[in-house]
Amino acid sequence: MSNEQGHSLVHHRGETVTSLSVQHQERGRSQLGKIGLMCMLTALVSLVALGQGSSSQLDVFTTARIVLGLDDATSVQSAIIWELRLPRVLMAIVGGVGLATAGALMQGCLGNPLVSPLTLGVASGAALGAALAIVVGFSITSIGAFAIAGNAFVFSLLVVFIIIQLGRYRSISAESYILVGIAITFIAGAVVSTLQFFATDAQLSQLAHWSFGSLSRPDMAVVLAVGICIVALLPQAMMWSWDLNALAMGGDDFAISTGVNPMRIRRNILVLSALMTSLIIAFTGMIGFVGLAAPHMSRLIIGNDYRKLLPASAVCGAFLMVFADTIGRTLFAPIVIPVGIMLAVIGGPVFMYLLLQSKGVQR
Amino acid sequence: MSDFLAVHDLSFSWPGRTVLEELNFEVGPNQLVSVLGVNGAGKTTLLKCINRILSPSSGSIHLLSSDVLSMTIMDVARQVAYVPQSVGTNFPMNVFDVVLLGRRPHLQWFVGDGDRDKVSECLHFLDINDFAFRRYDQLSGGERQRVVLAKALAQEPKLYLLDEPTSDLDLKHQITTMEKIRSVVGDQTAPSSAIIAIHDIDVAARFSDKIMLLHDGKIRAYGPPKEVLTVELIAEVFGVEAEVREDSGSLRITIQAALKNEEGDGE
Repeated sequence: MSNEQGHSLVHHRGETVTSLSVQHQERGRSQLGKIGLMCMLTALVSLVALGQGSSSQLDVFTTARIVLGLDDATSVQSAIIWELRLPRVLMAIVGGVGLATAGALMQGCLGNPLVSPLTLGVASGAALGAALAIVVGFSITSIGAFAIAGNAFVFSLLVVFIIIQLGRYRSISAESYILVGIAITFIAGAVVSTLQFFATDAQLSQLAHWSFGSLSRPDMAVVLAVGICIVALLPQAMMWSWDLNALAMGGDDFAISTGVNPMRIRRNILVLSALMTSLIIAFTGMIGFVGLAAPHMSRLIIGNDYRKLLPASAVCGAFLMVFADTIGRTLFAPIVIPVGIMLAVIGGPVFMYLLLQSKGVQR
Repeated sequence: MSDFLAVHDLSFSWPGRTVLEELNFEVGPNQLVSVLGVNGAGKTTLLKCINRILSPSSGSIHLLSSDVLSMTIMDVARQVAYVPQSVGTNFPMNVFDVVLLGRRPHLQWFVGDGDRDKVSECLHFLDINDFAFRRYDQLSGGERQRVVLAKALAQEPKLYLLDEPTSDLDLKHQITTMEKIRSVVGDQTAPSSAIIAIHDIDVAARFSDKIMLLHDGKIRAYGPPKEVLTVELIAEVFGVEAEVREDSGSLRITIQAALKNEEGDGE
C-alpha cells in the first residue's frame, strides 16, 4: 500500500523494515499468550472455588473430578455444586468481567488513571436507589425480590443520564465529567445520609450489608441474565478499542487528528460502562476496587493497547473476584466475609506492590 | 482556483476575543508553507481550524476541492495529519503502537502486514527504529516529537499540519528533520503539502516555498521567503532588528537586537 505512495521512505523497505514488523507481530502473539495464561489461571481458581464449602463430602478434588466429568455425582452432590456453588462463582466471574471492563473503558475515555467504574456517581445513584427501597419502601418495580436491585439499577442510570445530558448541553471536557460525577456523589450521599438518619436499626443493617458488596446466594436466573447482558456488551467495547487508544494516548486533539470524535465516543463509552456497572452492582452491591485495580494490573502485564487491554482486564477482573470471594468464604468459615471487603484487603496491598515494582518496567 | 488547499474568509474567535480574522490563502501541491508570528498571533489556532479541532466561526476550507468543514472527522484524518506541539499521556504505549495509530483512519479493526510495514518505514525514515518498542513516556522531548511526526507520516495524508515540529529537537535533528519533511512534501509522485507553525525564522526561510506572516490574527504578508522576509516586515511583525542576506541562493536571516517599543510605529 505504501509502495505506490512513494515518499522518500521507499528505500528503507527491505529486511530491516520487515524485521520491525515481525517483532511487532511476535509481541502481539506473546500478549495473546499471556491473556490465554490468565484465562487458564482463572479457570483453575474457579474450579478450586467450586470445591470450597461446608459439605464434607465435596472437597476440591471430588468436585473437580465431578465438574470435569470424570466421576458421577450423587443427587445431593450435584445439587450443591450446580445450584449452590456455581451461581456464586459465575456471578463472581460475570461481576469481575463487567466491572473491570467498565473500569478500563472509563479510565481510557477520560484519560485518567484514578477513575473507576464508580467515579461518575453510578455507585451513589445505586446507593440512593437501594436506600429508597429499604428505608422508604419506594421501588420502581412491583416485584418484591427486585425492589432493591431494580431501584439501584434505575437510579444509577439516572445519575449517568443527568451527567450525559449536562455534557450534551455544553460540550464538557473529560475533567468536567469527573468533577460533575463527584458533585453528584456528594448530593446523592447527602440524601442517603438523611434517609439513614430516619432509618430503623434493621433498615440500617440491611443498607450496610448491601453497601459491602457481596455475592451471597445469587439466583441462577439472575446470574445468567446479567451474564448474557455483559457478554453481549463486550464486542461493542472491543470495537471502540482503537478510539480508546487514541484518546488515552494523546487526549482530544490527538484523537481528532487520528479520526476520532472525542465528544461522541466519550459519551458512548460512558453510557456503555455505566450500563455494565449498574447491571452488576444492582445485584451485588458496592464492589468498586476491582474496576480500578484489574485494569491497572493488566496494564502492567499487557501494556496500554486497548485491543489487548480490554480482554486482559476482563479476565483479570474475573480472577480477582473469584479469588477474593473464595478466600472470603473459607478463611473464617462458616463466617463469610463479603467480597467487597476481601477485594480491598487482598487486592489493595498487591496492587500497591505491583505499582511500586513497575517503575520503569518496559511493556 | 487552487486545486490543493484553498482557505477563504476564515475567522475564529473565542468569546470576546477574535483570534483569526478573515484569512484568505491558497497552498499549492508539493508546497511547504511556514507560518510565522509572535506568541498569540494565531498560528496554532489556524492549524487547529484546518484540522477541525476548533470550529471556525466563519469561512471555508477546501482541500482538493472537498469542503473540509462538512467532512466527518474520520474523512479529515484520511487527508490531513496534525502534529501538536507536544503530546503528553497518562497511558503511554510503545513507540510502534503510537505510530500505528496513524494507520487508524485507513484500517477497519485488524492490522495488516502493509500497515506494519508502513509504520516500520516511518520509524526508519525518522531514525527512531532503535527504540521502536520503548515506552513513549521514557523518551526525551525531542524523541517524542519525532514519534508523533512518524505517526503523521504513517497516516499518508495530503496535508501535514505541523505545530513547531522541531522545537524540542537538537540542532542536528532540527536540520535533518526539516530536510526529511521537505523531501516528503517535495515528492512529485505523491502530492502533499505542509503548513508548519514555526518560531525559527532562519529555518523557515531555508526550507519553505512560502512564508505566511500572521500578525494580530491577520495575514500581514504571504509569499516566497525573499518577498516576505524583509528587514522592514520582520521589524514590524516581530519587533526585532534583523540582517537578511542571500547565501548561495538561499536566504539567511540573523536576528540582531530587539527593537524598542516606540520604534515599531515610528514611520
